[in-house]
Amino acid sequence: MKRLVVAAAMAVVLVSPGRAQETLTVYCSILEEQCRVGVAAFEKATGIKVSMVRKSTGETYAQLRAEANNPRADVWWGGPGDPHLQAAEEGLLAEYKSPKLAELHDWAVKHAEQSGWRTAGIYLGALGLGYNTKVLASRNIPEPKCWADLLDPRFKDEVQIADPNSSGTAYVMLASIVQLMGEDQGFAYLKALHKNVNQYTKSGAAPVKATALGETAVGIAFMHDMVTMILDGAPVKTVAPCEGTGYETGSVSIVKGAKNMEAARRFYDWTLSAEAQTLIGSGLKINWVPSNKAAATSPHAPKLSDIKLIAYDAAKYGSSAERTRLLKKWDAEVKALPK
Amino acid sequence: MTPSGRAWLLLGLIGYAILPWHLADLAPLANRYPAGEAGSGLGRALFGGAWWLLPIAAGLAVATVPVVARLDRDKAAAWLVAGGGFGLALLVVQGFVIGHNGWTTAWLAAWFGAPGPRQGGLGFGAALTALALLMLLCQGLADRGWCRGDAFVVSAIGLVVALIGLFVFFPVLRILVSAFQDNAGQFSFSEFAAKVLDRSIWGLDCLTSSLRCGVAWNTLFLAVLVGVGTTALGLAFALIATRTGFRYKGALRVLTVLPIITPPFVIGLALILLFGRSGALSALLYEWFDIPRSRWIYGLPGVLIAQLLAFTPIAFLVLIGVVQGISPSLEEASQTLRASRWTTFRTVSLPLMRPGLANAFLLGFVESMADFGNPLVLGGNFEVLSTKIFFAVVGAAHDQGRAAVLSLVLLGFTLAAFWVQYAWLGKRVYTTVTGKGDSGLLLPLPRRVAWLCYATAIPWAVFTFVVYAVILVGGFVRSMGRDYTPTLEHFLTGFRIEAGRHGLFLSGSAWDSFIATLKVAAMAAPLTAVIGLLTAYLMSRQSFAGRRAFEFGTMLSFAIPGTVVGVSYILAFNVPPVEITGTAFILVMCFVFRNMPVAVRSGIATLSQIDKSLDEASLTLGARSFATVRRVILPLLRPAVVASLVYSFVRAMTAVSAVIFLVSAEYNMATTYIVGRVEAGEFGLAIAYSCVLIVVMLIAILMIQLLVGERRLGRRTAPAPVGNVAVQAAG
Amino acid sequence: MTKSPASVEFRSVTKRYGSVTAVDDISFTIEPGSLVTLLGPSGCGKTTTLRLIAGLEMASSGRILIGGKDVTRLSAAERDVSMVFQSYALFPHLSVLENVAYGPTVQGLPKHRAREMALEKLALVGLQGLERRSPSELSGGQQQRVAVARALVLEPQVLLFDEPLSNLDAKLRRRVRDDIRELQKRLNLTVAYVTHDQEEALAVSDRIIVMSDGRIAQSGTPRQLYEEPANLFVADFIGDANLVDGVVVEERGERALVRIDGITIEVPRRGAGLGPVRLAVRPTAVLLQRTGPGRQAVEGRIAKAAYLGKHAEYLVASPMGELFAIDRADGPLLEEGAPVWISLADREVAIVPSAEG
Repeated sequence: MKRLVVAAAMAVVLVSPGRAQETLTVYCSILEEQCRVGVAAFEKATGIKVSMVRKSTGETYAQLRAEANNPRADVWWGGPGDPHLQAAEEGLLAEYKSPKLAELHDWAVKHAEQSGWRTAGIYLGALGLGYNTKVLASRNIPEPKCWADLLDPRFKDEVQIADPNSSGTAYVMLASIVQLMGEDQGFAYLKALHKNVNQYTKSGAAPVKATALGETAVGIAFMHDMVTMILDGAPVKTVAPCEGTGYETGSVSIVKGAKNMEAARRFYDWTLSAEAQTLIGSGLKINWVPSNKAAATSPHAPKLSDIKLIAYDAAKYGSSAERTRLLKKWDAEVKALPK
Repeated sequence: MTPSGRAWLLLGLIGYAILPWHLADLAPLANRYPAGEAGSGLGRALFGGAWWLLPIAAGLAVATVPVVARLDRDKAAAWLVAGGGFGLALLVVQGFVIGHNGWTTAWLAAWFGAPGPRQGGLGFGAALTALALLMLLCQGLADRGWCRGDAFVVSAIGLVVALIGLFVFFPVLRILVSAFQDNAGQFSFSEFAAKVLDRSIWGLDCLTSSLRCGVAWNTLFLAVLVGVGTTALGLAFALIATRTGFRYKGALRVLTVLPIITPPFVIGLALILLFGRSGALSALLYEWFDIPRSRWIYGLPGVLIAQLLAFTPIAFLVLIGVVQGISPSLEEASQTLRASRWTTFRTVSLPLMRPGLANAFLLGFVESMADFGNPLVLGGNFEVLSTKIFFAVVGAAHDQGRAAVLSLVLLGFTLAAFWVQYAWLGKRVYTTVTGKGDSGLLLPLPRRVAWLCYATAIPWAVFTFVVYAVILVGGFVRSMGRDYTPTLEHFLTGFRIEAGRHGLFLSGSAWDSFIATLKVAAMAAPLTAVIGLLTAYLMSRQSFAGRRAFEFGTMLSFAIPGTVVGVSYILAFNVPPVEITGTAFILVMCFVFRNMPVAVRSGIATLSQIDKSLDEASLTLGARSFATVRRVILPLLRPAVVASLVYSFVRAMTAVSAVIFLVSAEYNMATTYIVGRVEAGEFGLAIAYSCVLIVVMLIAILMIQLLVGERRLGRRTAPAPVGNVAVQAAG
Repeated sequence: MTKSPASVEFRSVTKRYGSVTAVDDISFTIEPGSLVTLLGPSGCGKTTTLRLIAGLEMASSGRILIGGKDVTRLSAAERDVSMVFQSYALFPHLSVLENVAYGPTVQGLPKHRAREMALEKLALVGLQGLERRSPSELSGGQQQRVAVARALVLEPQVLLFDEPLSNLDAKLRRRVRDDIRELQKRLNLTVAYVTHDQEEALAVSDRIIVMSDGRIAQSGTPRQLYEEPANLFVADFIGDANLVDGVVVEERGERALVRIDGITIEVPRRGAGLGPVRLAVRPTAVLLQRTGPGRQAVEGRIAKAAYLGKHAEYLVASPMGELFAIDRADGPLLEEGAPVWISLADREVAIVPSAEG
């Protein structure tokens, strides 16, 4: 009988926490530090208790899908816009037209509109090239400025990109190249680039680290991530390709069937506010471009004025069908190529 | 009816009539009890409109008959079996057919009209009632003479079977079903066939052209290499440790235990920091010998080295027991027949090691197949199934069906390996350890074998040492590979403790996950040991129908890669009746059933050394099975207890692939946190955290040893049990 | 001993393992206070029968009664039966005293009482002063006595021995055997005793149950079994026997005149009619003489000879077949190849009923 009591006590301990109704559950897909600082500030401002878990975008999306019948989360905060749009398309997200939308840049509002008001942009990160100046100098390779520069044979085995099958970042690049050059031209470019690619990494952030460590000469990733490495003292420079480039719209969404809809909306509104975006952006030396017009941008952030942004068609390229088609094509025509 | 039968009946009634039936918040009970959301089964059935809960009462009522009426043993038992079985069946069925959104199957909705009644996940009341009904059923079966009329044994079998069914077979079934579904949830066999036969899995292009081969072949190739490599290295270490006068055996021992308690990613990370293009060693080679820096570490070589580093200790631990176990008199017999030392080694010793070699190979093979961290970090363009599965789920493609199909392939390989090993070893007897004292002396190694062992093992040991030096240094410098300024910054970021107004405040960013991990590991370890050893006891000491299936079930969760387990747990346990995602419970259960096979194996191994007549002597002296287990078996099982506690604790601290899907806001795990740090490029913090984990695990292992204590046999002292920890890892 | 000994009764008990029948529909009764041996070659079902009494195996069908109470469905722990195991099964992690006190301890008796009971039984088997030793520090004979003390401590209704002497050397075996018999008589215990050694069985038993292939071949007192084997199996198994063919030539009431190859002797008839019969001839009944026949005899030749101190053993080739003979005569040893005259004693020759063959 004693065993039973112990077991019962254990069961109570195990199952009871995390079920109180007042707690808002946030799945956070930006940097751990941003998540923590942001949540703490929100708790302080509203008195609503937040329970936050940080996971990568892909993991969060997989989890939302698995939990579709019985959502656990209330808000999904951060991560590239594509998976948010896909989740919206699959009916995993709730529709909400925040009053804060008025304060946002046009690109963020457009993003929200494309999703049927199921998600909203909180920041913009442009895709760019990062290169290790030390490695380039030692090999006597000129610094790349454009997509086309990367096809130079001297870059053989010196370019690193993530695999679009596993990385949202790399998918943004794939979609951007296709939109920038047209599908046939784009794939021709990717095939040519394939010869210079040393590795398709799993994670989108990996090329950034590899570039900083000198494991690769050039990495293709979001520019603000490269800037972080520069501020950390790595011999890295980042540049927006001269032909133009794509971008991610970091997003926030409310999960459909959220148990705490009221609190979720307050959190959603808060993440769109200038105060919040300043806090977790420039406040933490994060160098993306916030979506709230009034939010402060980090002085180190890549200037949007210097970047030729393409008109990224998130609605089309974020859809499941197009995504699957492009990935299949990339697998068959690019990745399978001999080196 | 026995007193324990009455107690279970009472508990069943409490569970049904008093405790809240469904999972609900207990805080504001006032208006939701007894008929509302937080109501008891009885309350909800009578006043809350949950009519489907009422028939369960009938099961309890039937089981009550033997208490009220005076019946002979057989009749009373029949009532118990009927009541327990009926009640349990009803409880399970209602749980599965009525979900959050009404009927869970289309035909029920079509028949009775959608949406139908709704209910949430089962709660404490339902759990207790189910347990009580199960126990009553088992009690009845025991009274009818099952398992020599031993109620403890029947109950234990019932309980373990129920648990394995719920936490192993049910999730696996869910993922298998999804292998046959397309993304929209429709069954599609053509799509299944297309996925299984996909060129990216089975392609053989690398043989004929410069194209890449299928991921299945990659995985198989790597696993075979790792199996062979770890077995060879492990054998070299084992021979040095037992058959030579090598002076630094203690150091060897440490080097072989370290990799087991090292969190994943860390070895891979260290290899990059050493051999990457800007790695420390590459830099030296470049500066001193002008060897160009290259990226050779990314791909098969890197993964292979990392896995060899990680899994050689396991092979060593398997083989050292085998090498020690070879009876010296057999070798002496060979020598008296005028065989030279070399011939003796080749014709007697080596063949006798066959089971050990096979086991070591199998372990290396399976571990390599399931490994996820090292290919993720070092794989480069070399893809293996485990990472493919992970990215099929979380990657941009989000194709669960594909993940399930890949899991099937992986599972097929693993099971085939088990089968081949079984077939190869056959039914030959390799027992060389008997109760009789063996006064022979261990034969020293033939010289050429000894040199070969030294030549392989010592460089490898040095290499392992260097890797760990890098790990240690990495935690204490600003940025490994770029900036070697010594600093404590990483430890402070993770584990800062500040003195606040209300005493000490844990402000480091790692504390939450660290404490949660400790909590979960501390709960999972004893549960694993209890359930695993109980299962071992049942399997080696009791015979009952379906034992093979039972055994298979316990091995299954081990053979399935963690990623698949994680996804299957979410699929299975996010909806009623068992709705436990987001709790610590699901993490604990996941660990318990993933690590249980080790406890089972080490339990069986130890039990097979314990004469069965000891239990029987205890039984005939009037001790019931439970008392026998407690007083006779458990004290003699101490080495197995230590092994399973240590193993499950360590695995709970270091596992990553399964839990990455299961962690929640409250229960984030150390490893997922470390993965996050690696992702964000904060190698320093990741390494610092890993160092802390290694130290914690060492302390925990020592404490477990201390708490459980040594087995007292009066004669020989048992060899250090930690040695056996990973031995049975998959064996 | 406060408890009176109980009887053990088997009623048509069968034990099957899958398709194998280990014990096949056997019935017997062990009288209270008697020592009954289950004897038979390995695999005959004797140990299974013992384990059925103990409750370590459950009968597939039939009923088992101990002291008149039906225990068929009771588990081992619920039966008032103790067992001494072949391997002794002493708990290696407990001291001698703790081993013996184990029974009362798990029964929930207070510690000092359990200790008292254990010390009493240890004294009974003559092991005072060794309480604190661990079992592995004792000699084989001492371990055996610890096992007996442990089995006795709860004063069971029935005590079971499973080949208790098999791990002892030949000299010790005789002494321990006598000790067990002495103890059984002194404490008036009901004992079931399993062995495959017929000499051991003959020495200790009140009754012997000979088993073969899961059935009872014969049961009776040692003397009955030796002198009146019920069938060839028993005749062969209990003491060595030469099986020879003979012919009943005349019935003389309870006795019969049998001719075996020119030798005619009178033996108990045991229901045999006129005509051919088989006879079991004990080795000691084969009389060998160097010189011509003083009585009815046939000629044979020594095939093998062995001198064993107290007696000599011979293998003799004869018209009756090869005979095994034991000669207690203290004359000179017969050499191999020497011709001998063979005659038969009147005693120790028995007609074997043929029906059971």
